Amino acid sequence: MYRPAKRGRCPVPLGRLATVAPERATIRGMTERTATRRDFTQAVEAQIDALYGLALRLVRKTADAEDLVAETVTKAWLGIDTLDDPNRFRPWIFRILRNQFISEYRKASSRPRLVSIDEQEDDTGESDLIPLLSGQPDEFLQWWANPETDVANRLLGEQIMAAIDELPESFRETILLVNVDGLGYDEAAKVLGVPPGTIRSRMKRGRTLLQKALWIQAKDAGLIRDQETKK
Amino acid sequence: MSRPEDPPTHRDHDDIGCLAAIEMFYAYLDGELDDSVSIADFEHHMAHCRSCFTRAEMEGLLNERLRELAGRRAPDRLKSRVRDLMKRF
Repeated sequence: MYRPAKRGRCPVPLGRLATVAPERATIRGMTERTATRRDFTQAVEAQIDALYGLALRLVRKTADAEDLVAETVTKAWLGIDTLDDPNRFRPWIFRILRNQFISEYRKASSRPRLVSIDEQEDDTGESDLIPLLSGQPDEFLQWWANPETDVANRLLGEQIMAAIDELPESFRETILLVNVDGLGYDEAAKVLGVPPGTIRSRMKRGRTLLQKALWIQAKDAGLIRDQETKK
Repeated sequence: MSRPEDPPTHRDHDDIGCLAAIEMFYAYLDGELDDSVSIADFEHHMAHCRSCFTRAEMEGLLNERLRELAGRRAPDRLKSRVRDLMKRF
């Protein structure tokens, strides 16, 4: 289980805030800090739903997700000087949240496992998709490409989420960041600490794997009749 | 991207073919294909291949469903907690 430092309290002694930017301890600096804090507050409030959504997907429990967001906000403020481009606030704070999750998660977790990306993935390339696609059953491709089956609309959100949960972690994270949270490939790359080309590669492979997982979900849910699979 | 009128012609002499198009599928749908030549090649293929066009439509539909999953809102108690936290910064 994800265990936050101290629920309901700022986990960082307030005195440490003085070390964030000592040069700001002038009158002018105080004004700058006030402006920065106001901007930071607005930026956090604009992202609070997305941060909570991401946290909840990682830790699964609402109380843990709230703790993770609160700790992320604290860490983000303490590291505000590392935000190079205010226009990239979202990927920057997403990365802080993810890193906070990983550092805590490795101590104790309720999720099955979080495997290092390097352990499970070959990001080498473009050609990986071809054997993956050629390994797909024809019945899947026929079903998937058939507008009469209306797959996307018949699947429930829970079934789609269950299919995403079946994916290896690196693909799951990438698809969620890009397709659910709406991050660009370069933003997702920043969050995950990988090159943008890796995101592109993961999207191709991950979405192909997702189709297979959706096929299984649809079968389990009885959305696919036997005769459909034998066409 | 217009719907192809003709029966599927998966490849002609100017066409990149289905496999090359599939390589570009997600980058195109996610708005991440920024090379104008690649975009033109992809759209040319889509205009001539009903199978890939249909598949792209389905992927686009799935993208819409995935975006719907993002609709979760942070609880008010979390918003209040974060506001209190930031007042102390």
